[in-house]
Amino acid sequence: MSEKVYAFRCTTCGTVSYPKHVICPKCRGETFEPMEIAGEGAVLTYTDVYALAVDYETRYLRLAIVELDGGLRVTGQLLDEDPKVGGRVRTTVGVVREPAGGPIHGLQFVPV
Amino acid sequence: MRPVYVIGAGMTRFGRSEVPLVDLAGAAALAALHHANLGKIPVDTVIVANMGAGRVNRQVAVASALVDRLSLWPAAADSVENGPASGASAVKVGYQAIASGMADVVLVTGVEMMRAVDGLEATDFVASMSQPEVEYIYGVTLPSLAGLFARLFMERYGVERRHLALVAIKNHDNAMKNPYAHIHQPITMEGILTAPEAVVNNPPVAEPLHMFDCCPVSDGSAAVVLASEEVAAKLGAPRVLVAGIGQATDTHAVHERPDPTDLKAVRLASAAAFDRAGQKPSEIDVAELHDAFTILEIAESEAAGFFKVGQAHRAVERGETKLTGKLPINPSGGLKAKGHPVGATGVAQLVELTWQLRGEASGRQVAKAKTAFACNFGGFGNNVVATVLRKEER
Ligand SMILES: [Zn+2]
Repeated sequence: MSEKVYAFRCTTCGTVSYPKHVICPKCRGETFEPMEIAGEGAVLTYTDVYALAVDYETRYLRLAIVELDGGLRVTGQLLDEDPKVGGRVRTTVGVVREPAGGPIHGLQFVPV
Repeated sequence: MRPVYVIGAGMTRFGRSEVPLVDLAGAAALAALHHANLGKIPVDTVIVANMGAGRVNRQVAVASALVDRLSLWPAAADSVENGPASGASAVKVGYQAIASGMADVVLVTGVEMMRAVDGLEATDFVASMSQPEVEYIYGVTLPSLAGLFARLFMERYGVERRHLALVAIKNHDNAMKNPYAHIHQPITMEGILTAPEAVVNNPPVAEPLHMFDCCPVSDGSAAVVLASEEVAAKLGAPRVLVAGIGQATDTHAVHERPDPTDLKAVRLASAAAFDRAGQKPSEIDVAELHDAFTILEIAESEAAGFFKVGQAHRAVERGETKLTGKLPINPSGGLKAKGHPVGATGVAQLVELTWQLRGEASGRQVAKAKTAFACNFGGFGNNVVATVLRKEER
């Protein structure tokens, strides 16, 4: 899988943001470099959502906020049969939505 | 700044509209105008709060359309879109117009017709206010943000599903006494939580939240007439003062908040509203909170300052937020049972509170209500408007 997901590192103070901001929330810096999001972390919270938006055929989606080692927090899809708060996961990149315009790649979390 | 008064309030019954968007808005506006009883005093400004007519009803510039429907030309007209906080934002814009001296009489009308589209499309329309690059693409909907929030909040503070159920039962009970409410259905703890059939009656929407934790999809409209002190005095209207408005924003993506259970924008907006009103949370007699999900009524009541953090569910347990309690919350039935036509909600909260302060909320009147508070919660707490109303004795 060649698709990657990027966070943005402020070149002035090093703060990493996902999503990007035009002005750094920490130091007001204005220059950033992309930083690939990859690694391990822990599930902060998760939900099985049945109230789905358009573009999904499945009955429910399992979504989570994960805190990666290093502190960056990300939202994504949790691919874990036995989810729990604090569970260890690692990031992968997969198709997270398939609108008419073509598939969208994003973060998915698998148990370590 | 000049003082600003609410001199009229009206709404349609929430639920499903049989009439087009502008007629729905027109019905609420007319009710508010009748209530204000303006006589020959002209409305100089019309503000419409609406979130999605451009998408769900294929109509934009709704304020211009409403002026025309009401034959209020050449009144100034503006539409305000601020997600689910559109209603209170529109009232804030009207307040500013009068406070600044630019206007004397402002009609603010919130309207939404979400049932014009199917449920999937309505859910997606609402989901499109989430962060597009890091939330929406994953299938995030508002119920899912509420589910993520609820799991964290409940684990941290020991809130159980039965506490959420108590909020739902209370708000359904209150709505039974409100002829304008979308849902007139009494519910019980057995029916939605403890009986075997509760699993069927109350299916999951976004774990740990279930159907009876979530507001319905509603059509509806609500309107208030705001006026300067001079106009209010001339009309001899009951003096419901807009004592203070506060607004605050927070990160778009919920995961970027240092503590995602801290509704910082509610905290800051409420503090600003109380400060401007010169009042404290303990002085409030009745509140309308933005319970799009039951967990939010609990969390907002803490962030607004009515209860210590982690304690509101105990107050719910003790019945303190019932109509007969120390601080009745959502006497109207709240979004949970009155319904949630998104653009109308913030205005409808102030309609209910105006009626409460005037002693006109028959069947659900909070005795001797003098001060009232509303929290209109936009996005998932990333844009919040809080309002304090106070009845002045003449
Ligand atoms: Zn920086």
